[in-house]
Amino acid sequence: MEEIILKIEDLKVAFDTEEGDVEALDGVELEVKKGTFHGLIGETGCGKSVTGKTVLRLLDNNARIKGGRIHYGNIDLLKLTEKQMEKQIRGNEIAMIFQDPGSSLNPLFTIKYQIEEAVSMYSNLPRNKWNQAILEALQRVKLPDAANLMHRYPHQLSGGMKQRVMIAMMLACQPQLLIADEPTTALDVSIQAQFIKVLRDLKENLNLTVLYITHDLAVISELCDYVSVMYAGRIAENLTTRDLFKNPQHPYTDKLVHSVLGVTTTLEALEEIPGSVPRLINPPAGCRFHPRCQEAIAICSKEAPPLQELAPNHTVACHRR
Amino acid sequence: MGKSGYVVRRLLRTIPIVIGVTLVTFLILHFTPGDPVRIMLGPYATQENIAILKEQYGLDHPLHIQYITWLGNILQGEFGTSIRYNRPVLELVQDRVGITLMLTLSGLFISVTLGSVLGIFAALRQNSWLDYLCTFQAMFWISIPGFWLAIIFLYIFGLQLRWVPIGGLTGFSSVILPALVIGLQEEAWFARPMRAEMLGVLNEGYISAARAKGVKYIRVVGIHALRNVMIPMITMLALRLPWVIAGSVVVEVVFAWGGMGSLLVNSVLARDFPVVQGILLIIAITVVLANLLADLVYSLIDPRIRVEGGKK
Repeated sequence: MEEIILKIEDLKVAFDTEEGDVEALDGVELEVKKGTFHGLIGETGCGKSVTGKTVLRLLDNNARIKGGRIHYGNIDLLKLTEKQMEKQIRGNEIAMIFQDPGSSLNPLFTIKYQIEEAVSMYSNLPRNKWNQAILEALQRVKLPDAANLMHRYPHQLSGGMKQRVMIAMMLACQPQLLIADEPTTALDVSIQAQFIKVLRDLKENLNLTVLYITHDLAVISELCDYVSVMYAGRIAENLTTRDLFKNPQHPYTDKLVHSVLGVTTTLEALEEIPGSVPRLINPPAGCRFHPRCQEAIAICSKEAPPLQELAPNHTVACHRR
Repeated sequence: MGKSGYVVRRLLRTIPIVIGVTLVTFLILHFTPGDPVRIMLGPYATQENIAILKEQYGLDHPLHIQYITWLGNILQGEFGTSIRYNRPVLELVQDRVGITLMLTLSGLFISVTLGSVLGIFAALRQNSWLDYLCTFQAMFWISIPGFWLAIIFLYIFGLQLRWVPIGGLTGFSSVILPALVIGLQEEAWFARPMRAEMLGVLNEGYISAARAKGVKYIRVVGIHALRNVMIPMITMLALRLPWVIAGSVVVEVVFAWGGMGSLLVNSVLARDFPVVQGILLIIAITVVLANLLADLVYSLIDPRIRVEGGKK
């Protein structure tokens, strides 16, 4: 049995907005195994990023964690004080990279300065070895001419380079778990491929655990071992990447996989999911997918289906399974 | 072209501004009713005496000749002679500039530190009672006319409590009240933008990223965020400088300090135009230079602004 590094149970997060409370997360359940890449997919606004940010407790001021547990090892992250999060968890144990590389690096400091912050906090190296550590961090993500590059400012770098610098910076913290929040979404397709290659190398060489948030199924198939499918603030299905493509059980997962235009699918064969993502300010009762689900029965609009185990490493929240 | 090239170009650009300022100060004074010579000689002066004095100060020439003569003299460092004191303008200014400079700088120091600290706290505790209190006090001080605040402070702390001298410049304790009056008056101009800029910057991705690295929040705010709000704050500082000087002029008169402020006010009343023109020109040049300095400081803070200097 593999060790579970992160276990999220019944996580509930709401946002205060002018229109009322938005239940962004309503009972999210997922487990991340140590040393694996775990994908978290779903449509925009389903709560993927909120889940990631909640783990590091970096939510915006108008967000409230209403319940649940986030076990990291035997620590419940939601029980720690802000000071403890800062000192023991962020960077040290869990680090995160964000969607927009353009705004994730401070424009007024050199790359060196920003990586050095991480190195100085976590590496235990003497000061005269820091430069070497920064250099190695940049080389690890295949950045060319690292010795020169580290003295540059973010605006002198391309988007793809900035995102690799972000990874280098976060890995310099030597975390056990890296949360990657749509790191390739803002990049060009060709740069994406390069970036994914870097990640795959890191996966082989470091025993890194990554929670990879994306809506890009191609990236999932390239990188991830396990996948959690989110819909409207809930987990629809937890399964292996193989099962995602070969044996999806939740009607939403099924639709999601078949709505992707691949090399082998033609536009005519492409299925679209009828309806649109529900507004979380007043979500549908019962299963939140039922208004769009072709298999829906009476109970679906009344009771939210619990996650049930179909097979090892495969749980699904659907009344029809 | 290097950084010095940028400075030179930037300096050249200030020349038309300074010329504009000289023209305006000159014209304002000469179109203001009241004849300096008549004021000086009193109501019983003879036409002859007036004519002699006018000739002595070059006031008998046409306006444009007077302006060109004045400008030419200034280019040679010659600011003219005071009608009232019969001494060179520069000498009069030199005697008093230290006092004004001290008041301006100490007032500016108080307003910038107080305003920045309150603005940062208001941003960190957005929508809390502390935030509202900061807003309230800033609006309170900025709504009171400076001279009136000075008088009230003098009455309370000088006359009633006797904590500080009532007037004059007699050591450190006499600086506190005037500096405080200017500091409180100007503080809102730094507290409000600081709060707004801070709130904006704290929502930036690099703040989340720095926190995700495990950087202490105090360091995130004090280094990552603060450096990013410095450019708008320096802009504000340069913009407020003339107002602070103007405020000092008034406050200084209330506190009977005898700096450039009282010299300026008295010279205006006496239509002592060489002094007024000289002081206004000096203040204008100070402000123009302060703005130039601010531009140069931007490039030290923000690497993206270095491009114009041509230096990487």
